[in-house]
Amino acid sequence: MLRQPQSWAPGLFFPLLLAAVYASQFSRAVTIEGFPFPNVSFLDFVLPACVIQGVLFGSTNSASDLAADIENSFMDRLLVSPVSRGSILLSRLASAFIYGVAQAAVLISIFVLFGANIAGGFSSIISIVLIAAMLSVSMGSFGIAVALRTGSQEVVQSTFPLIFVAVFVSSAFFPVQLMEGWYGAIARKNPLTWVIDPTRRMAIEGFSWADFGQSLGIVLVIASIGILISIRQLRRRLVRAQ
Amino acid sequence: MSNPIEVTELSRSFGNLRAVDSINLTVTSGEVFGFLGPNGAGKSTAVRMLTTLLKPTSGSARVAGFDVVGDPSAVRKKIGVALQDAAIDPLMTGNELLRLQCVLHGLPKRSSLKRCGDLLERVGLTAAGDRRVGTYSGGMRRRLDLALSLVHEPEVLFLDEPTTGLDPTSRMALWEEVRNLNKDLGTTVFLTTQYLEEADQLAERIAIIDDGKIVREGSPASLKSAVGAPTLRVDVSENDLPLARKAMSHFGEERPARRNRIAIGLVSGTTGITDVLKALDDAGVEIHHVELDEPSLDDVFADATGRRLEGGQV
Repeated sequence: MLRQPQSWAPGLFFPLLLAAVYASQFSRAVTIEGFPFPNVSFLDFVLPACVIQGVLFGSTNSASDLAADIENSFMDRLLVSPVSRGSILLSRLASAFIYGVAQAAVLISIFVLFGANIAGGFSSIISIVLIAAMLSVSMGSFGIAVALRTGSQEVVQSTFPLIFVAVFVSSAFFPVQLMEGWYGAIARKNPLTWVIDPTRRMAIEGFSWADFGQSLGIVLVIASIGILISIRQLRRRLVRAQ
Repeated sequence: MSNPIEVTELSRSFGNLRAVDSINLTVTSGEVFGFLGPNGAGKSTAVRMLTTLLKPTSGSARVAGFDVVGDPSAVRKKIGVALQDAAIDPLMTGNELLRLQCVLHGLPKRSSLKRCGDLLERVGLTAAGDRRVGTYSGGMRRRLDLALSLVHEPEVLFLDEPTTGLDPTSRMALWEEVRNLNKDLGTTVFLTTQYLEEADQLAERIAIIDDGKIVREGSPASLKSAVGAPTLRVDVSENDLPLARKAMSHFGEERPARRNRIAIGLVSGTTGITDVLKALDDAGVEIHHVELDEPSLDDVFADATGRRLEGGQV
């Protein structure tokens, strides 16, 4: 970690920069008629979304590392040792989780330092961190599947814009209630919206088991699909010639 | 005990290409076995199958007594593998990598610390153990790679082109390491190489692979002598030529030679040279110069395939 700051530093600064830009440019958005949370600062409004965005941006790291391992044959080194095949996958998912926790914790701390307010207190913070970390695992697992399939770092990194678009066409930075046309239609169907909305309610209105259950549930479903696909891809790679 | 490597009709196809085509091999315990062939001959594919990284299309292989398909994890516990250009994280130190390797093999922490120290000493990297691998030279990396493959005291060691890309000095240093560990620990070594000299110097027995098939197998010496008798050339003064020719004619067929020189194909092989020299001495011939040219492994390769091994020098 300390020997290679370029691997984790961008994942931290990029979302912070975006958050700073949004907070200064769109802060008057809360005064738009029909805004669902009239009495909060825009900073409070974007906090959960920024945390989730930051974690998502970092989620390709784990997959990208795996692709690098395949590219430079470090994977072969692992495969000829007696470690179990599953642990190769598990370690990557665990690293995505830990990375997600760390990133979420740091981002929340910085937001709070700049005056953001989390209504739900400690339990909301823990929930947001947990949901963000599991989201990192979900997206990480799709990235891992891509890494196993292609064995190419470039392909894994090229999925990054997809994540970027997915975040933007969601309720992350603007409430879907105020969106119109096809954009709003997509955003309302975007699973990220379903995760972000309850997470945001927990931050602004206070912790609730229902919101926690909904967002964590959706994240777990996405994670299960991603993990199943990556297990399939790992099997495929083990059988296939390289 | 069964042989450490037993290969029966092993094949692997990639699409229409038969990269390895029904090879049969037996490597006995404590042997250094060389797998020689040009690039793309199927050496690495064969090694990948033997080290459980690749499933054979057909045929079977047993390594250290276990089937590579039926019981791959048992095989992995018994083998050490140094793959061709398998990456080492340049940000980690040699010591850290060795510890990691010990963890991968599930060695207890206490004994692995000592083991790592011993291995670094064995490959001459004690002083560089705490330096990042990124600062190592090519030869140092290969030696670290060798140490990494030895942490769990494997019964069979696979070295895939261990010295490709190394300078001659580093190459010879690595050969010395391989010889020593074969001698000290009795480790069976299976090495692939495209260098004739490497196979000649290191391996007690070699198999030559070309186009997925094994075309020759045996000890370097026997393969060479099978190609033909070595050429013995003797320079004598012009007056002695008839005498020398007569004395040498008993030992083999005369071969073309330059002026004042007689060349024969020495039927009895290299060991016959003393008899020839003695006969010449008895005949009262004064010898100015003697040279003996053995067929090289390249000649063996050429004899088997009709081609010269590219880049090979003997």
